[in-house]
Amino acid sequence: MARSAKKGYFIDPSLEDKVMVAKGNDDRKPIQTWSRRSTITPDFVGLNFAVHNGKTFIPVYVTENMVGHKLGEFSQSRMFKAHGGSK
Amino acid sequence: MPRILGVDIPNNKKLAYSLRYIFGIGPKRADIILEQTGLDPDMRAKELDEEQINVIMSKISELNYLVEGDLRRDYAANMKRLQAINCYRGLRHRRGLPVRGQRTKTNARTRKGKTASVGGLRK
Repeated sequence: MARSAKKGYFIDPSLEDKVMVAKGNDDRKPIQTWSRRSTITPDFVGLNFAVHNGKTFIPVYVTENMVGHKLGEFSQSRMFKAHGGSK
Repeated sequence: MPRILGVDIPNNKKLAYSLRYIFGIGPKRADIILEQTGLDPDMRAKELDEEQINVIMSKISELNYLVEGDLRRDYAANMKRLQAINCYRGLRHRRGLPVRGQRTKTNARTRKGKTASVGGLRK
């Protein structure tokens, strides 16, 4: 079920602080984060993130289309394995 | 047979049912359309005259129902967006696997297509 609208988006407070700092200066260094559960807000657009997938940090560049999704959606935590295919 | 919205040719069924053959119109919307246009739901689709067809068509656009091509384009655009941003749902669409977290150990045949045996075809 979807989150109640009256609560607004969920963002980890620690991540929000980091985003605000990054917006303040022109540093393009990716923001390392473990907070896969945080929703991407319009503030995030144009920033680089490094989202933890349980093992490593996956680089994610946030575009306008990604607003409303969670950071974790862009950092796969499972490897795709398939049988067969071309040799 | 009557043609509503270009290509759709609902058959000899009652109006309340034949309208559902239009992509984007289900039981609910069919009922609303019939109620607001005052047409008899028990009338057969083939009995529709030109004027009544026009009434239905203008009602659909008046209610802002996305139907047929427009709705399909909408679907495709949504899917394309998900794939373009490389999110989990987009990847699942690309792989042709279930998008909403269903199990894939068994079942999921609607998305995966017909069973392909692994190494079982030899003999």
